[in-house]
Amino acid sequence: MKTERVWTERLLFLLVIAITLIFLFPFIWMLLASFKTQAQILSNQSIFVFQPTGENYATVFRDYNYTRFIFNSLLVAFLSTLFGLVLGLPASYAIAKYKQNGLAFSILIARVIPGISFMIPWYIIFSKIGLVDTYLSLILAHMLVGLPFIIWVMISFYENLPHELEESARVDGCTIQGAFFRILLPLSVPGIVTASILAFIFSWNNFMFALVLSGEKTKTLPIAVYSFLSYSNINWGALMAAAVVITLPILVITLILQRYVVSGITVGAVKG
Amino acid sequence: MNMKRNAAMLAGTITLFGTILSGCGGGGTVGQPAGQSAGQAAGQSAAAEKNSKPYAGTTLRLVTANHAWTDLIKPKIPEFEQQTGIKVNLESYFEDQLTQKLTVEFTSGSSSVDVFMMRPLQEGKMFIQNGWVGEMTKKDDPDWDFKDFTNASTGSLIQGGKLYGVPIVTEREILYYRKDILEKNNIPVPKTLDELKQAAAKLNDPNNGFYGFVARGQRAAAVTQFSSFLYGMGGDFMKDGKATIDTPEAVSAFKTYGELLKSYGPPGVLNMSWPQAIGIFGQGKAAFYTDADSLYPNLLDPQKSSVGDKTGFALFPAGSKGQTPYNVTSWSLAIQAKSKNQAAAWEFVKWATSKQAMTALQGKGIPGPRQSVWNTDEGKKSFPPELVNVISKSNELGKAYDRPILINVGEARDVIGSVIVTAISGEDVEKAAKQANQQFQAIIDKEKK
Repeated sequence: MKTERVWTERLLFLLVIAITLIFLFPFIWMLLASFKTQAQILSNQSIFVFQPTGENYATVFRDYNYTRFIFNSLLVAFLSTLFGLVLGLPASYAIAKYKQNGLAFSILIARVIPGISFMIPWYIIFSKIGLVDTYLSLILAHMLVGLPFIIWVMISFYENLPHELEESARVDGCTIQGAFFRILLPLSVPGIVTASILAFIFSWNNFMFALVLSGEKTKTLPIAVYSFLSYSNINWGALMAAAVVITLPILVITLILQRYVVSGITVGAVKG
Repeated sequence: MNMKRNAAMLAGTITLFGTILSGCGGGGTVGQPAGQSAGQAAGQSAAAEKNSKPYAGTTLRLVTANHAWTDLIKPKIPEFEQQTGIKVNLESYFEDQLTQKLTVEFTSGSSSVDVFMMRPLQEGKMFIQNGWVGEMTKKDDPDWDFKDFTNASTGSLIQGGKLYGVPIVTEREILYYRKDILEKNNIPVPKTLDELKQAAAKLNDPNNGFYGFVARGQRAAAVTQFSSFLYGMGGDFMKDGKATIDTPEAVSAFKTYGELLKSYGPPGVLNMSWPQAIGIFGQGKAAFYTDADSLYPNLLDPQKSSVGDKTGFALFPAGSKGQTPYNVTSWSLAIQAKSKNQAAAWEFVKWATSKQAMTALQGKGIPGPRQSVWNTDEGKKSFPPELVNVISKSNELGKAYDRPILINVGEARDVIGSVIVTAISGEDVEKAAKQANQQFQAIIDKEKK
């Protein structure tokens, strides 16, 4: 009986490892390929045994000046998330408190409409007011998706906070604003972290808006990564190195804040 | 009283000025001619400056594709800026995104793009019909010598007798082969598609991971490389507005291409565009490979390929109706119709496509459109001698398009590509071709309206 359970556990453990490996394989391949030469990447000899080279990373940072693109991406992602929070947190609180479901749905529409349909109107507006190839236009564009997302995650979060908390604060002489900033905001940190990470990742990976609205000065990473694909030549090694550079910061941030993400996502799963 | 004082002061001032003026005149008589001539000289040199640099201070926005051409022209741009005083801001994008970005900017009516890179056969027709591409009016400039461009290279850029862009990169389909393998097996270089098939059959050895033939098998990507087969069999994509991909000639071309890849090609060929196909050939796993000549540096670079010194280049083999590889302009430079700097933009295009610039670029491996450059040693030096011969001959034989010339090229390529896929899978080609022909005709008809 006992040995049977041990065996089931071992089997389960093996299964977990197998599944993890399958999911991790593309990532591992990418990581390994970023240290290989073009010929080594295309060769069908062993994937794991090879003479590593740092040349690809040198290409990425020296020849293509990736530090600049990383800066651009960080700036746009950070600020669009920040402004999204500044506008989104009070908005979602108000929506949750006063049950403004119609408003919530109209905000959601921004996410339902395919992003590409905004492209031409935006380009016309932004080019008329001279905002093409500025950080501002990218930040605004990325907020279009980030903001509704933050609002929707936070609505359900605020709905689940007991409203007695706010009432007690009010009884003790707090204004509504005071209660929001002093009581509810600190309590909603896990939700804020979840929403921010996801909004940040969205902005970090966004390609379409950046393609049209950015220029040489404000190019972000997803656009820059295409520098290694050209008409009759694909630099796989540098492409993989650039992909690692793009993935790494997100991976690190997510691993550090993972605890919050999980607790944020499951918030409201069980009402009680 | 006040007025009186003012008048007195005015009189005094005038007297003062008078003295100064007369004094000046007296002293200046000797120096005058010298001063005048110096002033004139300065004026003249300023005028000369203005003549040689009429567009100084203009800023051009140049939007290009990620291409070897862009990489090579970039370091030369400061020369142009110095010569003309025009500032050039260069941006580059991967080709699909370039089309996307330009389409959005042009649709919105923005005038910020001055000069851009355009694929005449892919987006050219759409761009030109939408009135986005400016006409090149000064093509008869003798210094620039328009006649030097091969007819095949400009064919796709002239519409209604007007020039809408200048070719910068040209491309032909050729046959890549393994010199060592052919020699070892005592097989001559195939001159016809039949000979190619026989040789591929003989060399095909799938048990040892070696294949007779490789080429693109991916639906839309394969269409351009299939075109030379189609022409060789006497077929074409369309004729006088009628789709012709179900004619017996076309069907035999589909069958030939399909059979080569089905019987002698590597597994998974349906997922192969050029990067995968050239990978197979570059790893020494195939005897023959047909694709664009512009890809050759991928095979010669030891970093990317293990067959650099073993690769041979041959003219695309003849079909039953002769030898007709495509010979196209893959990239051209165009000026946006709405650009506010038309003259300066033309100045740039003229400079970038001058004999000098093209010789320098071709010397670094960009197959250009100028016949005179192909006749110089500088123009040939970076190409293997065998390849130069093949290119020169293809320049005479070739057809100026490798896909149907339409606005919805992408859609048409998918339709035609589906027949290629059917052929490679070994299914009923006639039936597929009939069906595809109807769909293709529908695309053509839609554009006529």
